[in-house]
Amino acid sequence: MATETALVDVGILFTAVAVAGLLASRVDQSVIPFYIVVGILLGSNVLGELPALAGSEVGIGGVAVTVPEATIGGVDLLAAIGGLALGETDFVVVGAEIGIVLLLFFLGLEFNLERLLESRDRIGKAGTVDLAFNFGIGLVIGYLLFGGLLAAFLTAGVVYISSSAIITKSLIDLGWIANAESEPMLGTLVYEDLFIAVYLAIASVLVLGGGDAGEAAGQIAIAIGFILALLALVAFGTGFFQRVLEADSNEFVVVRALGVTVLVAGIALALGVSEAVAAFFVGMAFSSTDHVHDLERLLEPLRDAFAAIFFFWIGLVTDPGLFTLSILGMIVAAVVLTTPTKLVSGFLGGKIYDLDDRRSVRVGLGMTTRGEFSLIIASLALSGAGSGIPVETAETIYAFTVGYVLVMSVLGTSLMQYSDRLEPVAVSWLERRRVGSVRPAEE
Amino acid sequence: MTIYESDLPGVGKKFEVELDDGRRLVIVTHNTGKREVYMKANADADGEKLFEASDRLARKIGTILEGAYFQPVQTEEVETLLAEDTFIEWYSVTEDAEIAGQSIADARIRERTGVSIVAIQRDDELVSAPPPETVLEVGDTVVVIGDRDDCAQFETLLGEDVEE
Repeated sequence: MATETALVDVGILFTAVAVAGLLASRVDQSVIPFYIVVGILLGSNVLGELPALAGSEVGIGGVAVTVPEATIGGVDLLAAIGGLALGETDFVVVGAEIGIVLLLFFLGLEFNLERLLESRDRIGKAGTVDLAFNFGIGLVIGYLLFGGLLAAFLTAGVVYISSSAIITKSLIDLGWIANAESEPMLGTLVYEDLFIAVYLAIASVLVLGGGDAGEAAGQIAIAIGFILALLALVAFGTGFFQRVLEADSNEFVVVRALGVTVLVAGIALALGVSEAVAAFFVGMAFSSTDHVHDLERLLEPLRDAFAAIFFFWIGLVTDPGLFTLSILGMIVAAVVLTTPTKLVSGFLGGKIYDLDDRRSVRVGLGMTTRGEFSLIIASLALSGAGSGIPVETAETIYAFTVGYVLVMSVLGTSLMQYSDRLEPVAVSWLERRRVGSVRPAEE
Repeated sequence: MTIYESDLPGVGKKFEVELDDGRRLVIVTHNTGKREVYMKANADADGEKLFEASDRLARKIGTILEGAYFQPVQTEEVETLLAEDTFIEWYSVTEDAEIAGQSIADARIRERTGVSIVAIQRDDELVSAPPPETVLEVGDTVVVIGDRDDCAQFETLLGEDVEE
């Protein structure tokens, strides 16, 4: 049995996440940045530091602040509060892992290859434009900031992948789902999701591999073999997956689906293959059974609970001390460079779907949000620290990504909310440019 | 009557129904079963959300719209979709019908059209699964089952212009 403190810790975790979620909904924002921040605050790097802080100086972002001593009635207040700090317990780590697995499982579950092939023309064009612009700029930024190809490759993934979760939820909340702009947005997200599944498979081998070239080749062979086995399962295993879920009680459906998914993901991780990618393929295998809607309905709350632990964990292992001036500078630079690239690629995506200027601008505004997948890449970088990637570089990329996602998730959600005011400005600017330019207006 | 259908990956499906006045009714069916109904003033306008309904409520509303509880107009033809492209249809046999006065066997309905006659409503009695020698009379209501093409073929035997 767990000790009573461990149970209290988990209780504090969920309560903190619940309060953060409440705050987020009050200010009409996505919950993700709030979960991360509450994780940072409750972690050993902030709360845990309190007892030692009395009378000392703290530097955050290069600014030094002196912390006053606080004792009330002979009780050291800081020490008392500091005692509540949460450590990176096994529960949190495994919970976060399950969060990643379920996020990708859902991606696979809702991923429909036939659908993608049906509208491959437009999705392919819009998605490729999105990829070229954002992955391209990511490579450049990553190479300039961190040096090295692997760091550039990871940064490219971080800035390229928009947040399916936040964007889809915002589309529904704002009622855009009924409008034409939802199609290029969701279509581009499907393209990104497929890309990220392949990308994670490659990135995890590169990051976790390390060592000499022969070892890396062996790792890559295992990874490719495992993924091929999973693909075979997707192609020929429908009957098996169908039978696995033939149960007349919700309990059995949930337990069996979890059993298959988490076990396959765990085996993948043990073999050095990305557990996220394995989960994606298991989701895809389940997507061709008749139980898709049941699974979505039953597992969604579970996914959200574990995803919350994942975002909390991201904050928990983030040391605010890592946000040095130079990293803050990197984050600002990335925000300034990668917001316009999404605006432009989204706009062009809208045009590929024959939308008018206003709606195309909307697509751009909507695609700027980055979120859960960028963080999954960051956690991958962290797990490879010291093997495939130098510890310092991994930690820098991690801190950079956390800060970047905090900014981009809030910024992207806000851009969507205030699009009514932004659209006319953008549209009139576009028209002025067309009149001013020699090129005939594209209609 | 144009209906546009599109997939919303990760969300569900969207149906846009063109109304007679140029407005559009947008129905978003979520994978969760929830339905959202929007109205667009025209094809290019933003959707204004009218209401949302749970799966059960939506089906109830749908049945009322379908006229299951009250039909203000006696329709000439009622279409009920049985499965993918299988219809049950009701037809009246008029004086123009070439098969009026013929038996089901003589009219070779099955060979010529592909539909099966499952019942005949005559005055107050219902002949279900009518034998082949049953004669079709003017004023009968014939209940047939078949796919869209079969039904269209059958309509020509009744002397109706088929709209496509």
